[in-house]
Amino acid sequence: MKEIVKYGFTLGLICFISSSVLVAVHAVTAPKISQAREKGEQAALKEALPDCVDFKACMEDGKISYYRGVDSSGNLKGFVVISSGKGYSSDIQVMAGLNTNLEIINVKILSQDETPGLGSRVTSPEFLGQFKGKVADNFEGVQAISGATISSNAVIKPLKEKIANLKEKLQAK
Amino acid sequence: MYEICAYLCNKYMGILFKEFTKGIAMENPIFGLVLGLCPALAVSTSAANGIGMGIAATFVLLGSNIIISALRKFIPDEIRIPCFIVIIATFVTINEMVLKAYFPALNQALGIYVPLIVVNCIVLGRVEAFASKRRVLDSLFDALGMGVGFTIALCFIAALREFLGAGKILGISLLSGFEPAAMFVLAPGALLTLGLLIGLVNYWQFKKTDSK
Repeated sequence: MKEIVKYGFTLGLICFISSSVLVAVHAVTAPKISQAREKGEQAALKEALPDCVDFKACMEDGKISYYRGVDSSGNLKGFVVISSGKGYSSDIQVMAGLNTNLEIINVKILSQDETPGLGSRVTSPEFLGQFKGKVADNFEGVQAISGATISSNAVIKPLKEKIANLKEKLQAK
Repeated sequence: MYEICAYLCNKYMGILFKEFTKGIAMENPIFGLVLGLCPALAVSTSAANGIGMGIAATFVLLGSNIIISALRKFIPDEIRIPCFIVIIATFVTINEMVLKAYFPALNQALGIYVPLIVVNCIVLGRVEAFASKRRVLDSLFDALGMGVGFTIALCFIAALREFLGAGKILGISLLSGFEPAAMFVLAPGALLTLGLLIGLVNYWQFKKTDSK
């Protein structure tokens, strides 16, 4: 009995000290972490719509549905959507910037973990460049990468759906 | 080189130096002890990842080795493993927070492997086999040696794989007319590279002991 109390106390003390240290480190790093995340997000949004200076997230059901990009004088310049699709070995997150006519300005892969040298080619400018200038959900002429059809479709299909969705929402307004 | 240093340093420094160098050469965690292969295989796709993972693991090794060595008389033998794990996990979490806050790009590249340092057998192995029985200073040098040895091994594998698989080292293209074999960046390439390197190291070591 005495032993159990002693062991319990020792382990408890170590856990207490450990968690105190973690609380202190968390207090220091938490603001930096959210800052870094926000910075990365803003930089990615800026890349999708280079003309815009500010982005406002439009929420739906507690999730970000799309972003509205505005220029320095506050005019609406376009939208940014983020789509996610199941690829060959990972979820591929895609960000696309559209102007007010829903014409695609830029497409960027936010995150992917596809097979290097095969599926990972969806990040290549040759593939992503095909989307440029496509209007709304009409992706005619966009070709999947040969040997990486699953990864390519994981980019194309969810993005198409997302933009169609956006179009519906904007028309409803 | 090693003999001269050991001779010049006094006896005590010699012991510390020995604790340091054994992790790099004879008891190298990857090639000698064959510990921590999971991160070594998974993260060694590019030289930059290898360096990052090596430094992160060294930090955890150093912190947990020092603390556990200092507490070795306080921690009862019967509950040492949970105590070790709590201390190691604390250092790993600190590590992860710092990486996320100050090096977000590296954190993204290392992904799940940073939290997995908790169960990296090098850390628990060194703590159990060394730090829980030895003085703080010895443990510090042991951790440094093991960490540096792990980093060097990881960098070596990673640089080789990046070169063969992508034709680059540290993201810089080295050869132009060379078609890289993407397989080396994938899992089979990791196993092949590691296996051949361990074989080579063993060959050298056997040759050395044979000639003696």
